[in-house]
Amino acid sequence: MRFTFKTLRLLLIGLLLAGSAGAASFTATLDRDSLTMGESATLALTFEGGSPSSVPTLNVPGLQITQVGNSQNYSFINGAISSTVTVSFFVKPQRDGEFTIPALTAEIAGQQLATEPLKLTVGKVAAPSPDAVNSGSEVAFLKLNFPKPKMFTGESTVMRLELYLRDEVQNFGNFQFTSANPDGFSVGKSVELPNQRRRAQIGNRIYTMIPYSVALTAVKTGAYPLGPFTANLVIVLPGGVFGEQRQVALATETMNVETLPLPTENRPANFNGAIGDFTMTATAGPTAVTLGDPVTVRVQISGHGSMDTITLPPQETWREFKTYPPTAKLETSDPFGQRGRKSFEQIVSPLNADVHELPALTFSFFNPDEGKYHTLTQAAVPLTVRTAETSPLPVLAAKKNSTPETASPPDILPIKEKLGELAITSVPLLARPLFLAAQAVPLLALLAAFVWRKRTDSLANNPRLRRQRAVAQLVRAGVADLKKLATENKSDEFFALLFRLLQEQLGERLDCPATAITENVIDENAKLRSAPTAVRDGLRELFQLCNQARYAPVRGTSELNSVTAKFEKTSAELREVKA
Amino acid sequence: MKTILSCLLALLFAANIFAADVTSDFSAANKLYAEGKFAEANAAYENMLQTGAPSPALLFNHGNAAFKSGHIGKAIAAYRRAELLSPRDAELRANLAFVRNQVQGTTLRESRWQSWGNALTLNEGTLVTAIFFWLTIGLLVARQLRPALVPKLKTATKIFAALTVVAGAALAVQAMNHFDSSGAVVTTTETSARSGPFDEAQSAFTVRDGAELTVLDRHDDWVQVANGAGKIGWLNKKQLEILPGA
Repeated sequence: MRFTFKTLRLLLIGLLLAGSAGAASFTATLDRDSLTMGESATLALTFEGGSPSSVPTLNVPGLQITQVGNSQNYSFINGAISSTVTVSFFVKPQRDGEFTIPALTAEIAGQQLATEPLKLTVGKVAAPSPDAVNSGSEVAFLKLNFPKPKMFTGESTVMRLELYLRDEVQNFGNFQFTSANPDGFSVGKSVELPNQRRRAQIGNRIYTMIPYSVALTAVKTGAYPLGPFTANLVIVLPGGVFGEQRQVALATETMNVETLPLPTENRPANFNGAIGDFTMTATAGPTAVTLGDPVTVRVQISGHGSMDTITLPPQETWREFKTYPPTAKLETSDPFGQRGRKSFEQIVSPLNADVHELPALTFSFFNPDEGKYHTLTQAAVPLTVRTAETSPLPVLAAKKNSTPETASPPDILPIKEKLGELAITSVPLLARPLFLAAQAVPLLALLAAFVWRKRTDSLANNPRLRRQRAVAQLVRAGVADLKKLATENKSDEFFALLFRLLQEQLGERLDCPATAITENVIDENAKLRSAPTAVRDGLRELFQLCNQARYAPVRGTSELNSVTAKFEKTSAELREVKA
Repeated sequence: MKTILSCLLALLFAANIFAADVTSDFSAANKLYAEGKFAEANAAYENMLQTGAPSPALLFNHGNAAFKSGHIGKAIAAYRRAELLSPRDAELRANLAFVRNQVQGTTLRESRWQSWGNALTLNEGTLVTAIFFWLTIGLLVARQLRPALVPKLKTATKIFAALTVVAGAALAVQAMNHFDSSGAVVTTTETSARSGPFDEAQSAFTVRDGAELTVLDRHDDWVQVANGAGKIGWLNKKQLEILPGA
C-alpha cells in the first residue's frame, strides 16, 4: 500500500514538471507606479512553469529594495498543471525622482526569460496649503511650531511638531520621522509630550492634535531653511470589518532660521563652548593635607543648555597644583538631555608646601536668551599643606628619596631591595582541626574544675557524708594494717585495732560517737535490730573475738588473717544497712 | 639512617638553589625597574609570582611596576595581596592609598573598622583571640580551684572576657571575609558591568581601571559584583582580578 502511494506521488510530480516545462514565463510587477517620499511599494517577481535557478539581484540607486518573502502555487486547470513561484520585494525610495527597475533575466526549466523594465515615480512630500488645512479637507497633517527665528551656533533647543488627525481616524500607528538632518542643524531625539493631546476645530472638522518635541541644535552659522520635516504613519479609517488601513506621508512647511555666530566681544578667556543658562557649586576636600596628598574638587553645574558638551575648563590659577583629568557624570531631568546637572570630580595635588589655598574656580558660558557671556566663580578654598616630615607616609619617602620634595611630584614609594621571606601558602589556623580541637582543652579543664568545686562544696555541707568517707578511708587503711599485724603475729595490737575499726564503722552507721559503741549496741539499737541476722551475727562474733583476745593465748597468723577476712565481709554487709 | 640523612641534605641543597634563583630573579627585576623599564619589570615580577611563592616585598614591587606601567587595577590587586601577608607595612599602605586616589569613578572605600580589622593577618587574629580565650578560661579555672582568689581575679576575668568577645567578633568578621566573600579589582581601562552574565545584556554601570568591587556571585566566566554605590552588575572574569579573602 505504501509503495502505491509513493509511486502515485512521484507520478504526480513528474506530470507537474512535464506540464509546466512547456509554458515557462517570468514577469515583474509593482503594486503602484507612483509614490511620495516616505511611502513604499511592493515588487513581485513571478516565475511560471518552474522554479528559477536563481533569483535576480536588484540594485537600483535611490531605491532600497529588500526581499520580504516568496510563495509557490500549483494549479490544475482543465487537466493542465501549472506551478507559480512569486518572490516579493519591499521597495522604499531614498530620494524623490523617476526610477527605472531594469529588465531582469532568469533561467526557468532551461529557458532564459526576461521581464519588462518598470518605471516608478517618487514625488516629494509637500505640506498641504493653508487653505486645504483650514478647510478641514486633510485627513492628517503635520505642523511645525518653532517661534525662534534666530539661534546661536551651538545652541540647543526643543522644537515642537504637531500631528493633526481628523476625527474619523479611528487609530494610527508606525509613526516615524523620515526626514534627514536639515542643513545647518542637528536633529536629536523626538518624544511625544505626555498628557498634552487635545482636540481642535479646524474649519468645520474636529482634529486630534498630538504634540511631539524634537531636540534641535544649530551647528552652522548662516541662514538655513528649517524643514520640511517629513513623517510616515498608518491610519485606520472607517470601512470593512477591521477598518481601512492607509499609509500616509506627511510634511511640514519650511521656516527660515538664522544662525548667528557667538559674539567675540567680552568673551571670557576660559569660555570653552558651554551654551545655555547654568549655576555652579563646588567643594574641595580634604583641606588639611600632606604635601603630595590628593585634594578632591567636586563641581556641579546645573541648568539647561547643551549639557552633554559641558566640560570643566582648565584653571589657569591652579599652577601650584598637579591636576588629573576630571571625571564627569551627567544626570538629566528631561528626555533630550538639555536640562539637569553635570557633576565633575577632579583630583588635584599641591606641588609645594607654600600653597595656602585652592584658587577660585571659574566657569564661563554663553546665555543665548540674553545674548551675552557669564562667568561663574566659586571662592578660593583655604588649604593647610604640611611638609612631608610632619606625617608618617611622606617620612618614608623622605628617607628614601634624597631629592627635594618641592622638585619632584608626589609619587609612590620606591621598591624594596630585599625579597624577604617567601609566604608558604597553608591552611589558616582557624581551619585546622587540631587547632580547633585544642580550644576544647581549656573548656574541659573548666568543666572539671567546676565539677570538683561542686563536689567539694557538697561534701563541706554534709557532715554525715564526710564522716562516711572518712570512715571508709579509715577502714581501708585499717584492713591493710590488720593484714600487716596478722603477718607479724601481733595479736594484741591486731584485736585492739579491730575493735576500734568496729567502733568507727558502727558509729558511722548508727550516727553516734565511736567511743560509745560496745557489743551491747547490736541488740539495743533499733537500726541494727532490723539488720540482716548474718550481719548481726558477724558483728557479735567479731566483738567476742576481741573480748576473748584479752584473756586467750596468742593466736597464729592464719587465724588472724581469717578474722581480717571476716571483718572485711561484715564491714561490707554493714555498709549496706541503711544509716 | 644514612639514606634519610642523604635525602635531607639533598632537600636542603635544592631549597638553597631555589632560594638563590628567586633572589637573583628578584634582583634582575628590580634592576629593570630602576632603569625605568617598568613594563619589563612588571612582567618579570608577574612571572616570579606565577612560578613561585609570593613574598610581601615581591608583591609590593609588582604593585609598583604595575602602577608605573599604567595598570592601576593590577597595582591595587598586588598591594592588596601583599597587605594580606604584611598588613602593618607602612610603605605598602602608603602606596596603596596613593594608587587608590588615582582611581576614577566609583570604587569601594575601606572603612575605618575594616582598616583596623585588616591590621592583623587571619592567623594573627586567631592567635590573639585564642590567647585571650585561654587566659579567660584559666582565670575561671583558678576561681573554681581557689575560691579565696575570686575577689582578686574578678576584674581581670572581666577584662579578659571582654577582650575575648571583642577579638572573637573581629575574628568572625575577618574569617567571614576570608572564607565567604572576596573582593575584586577592575583591570581593564573602562568597561560596562552588564545586567546579566552575557555580552548582550544591558549595561548596568561603568567601571574604570582600579575600581574595587565586592564579589557577590559567579556564573561560568562571569562574576556578579557590587560597586561602592551599591550598584550590581556582571563582569567577565577577564576584566577583573579576584582577590583572596582578607
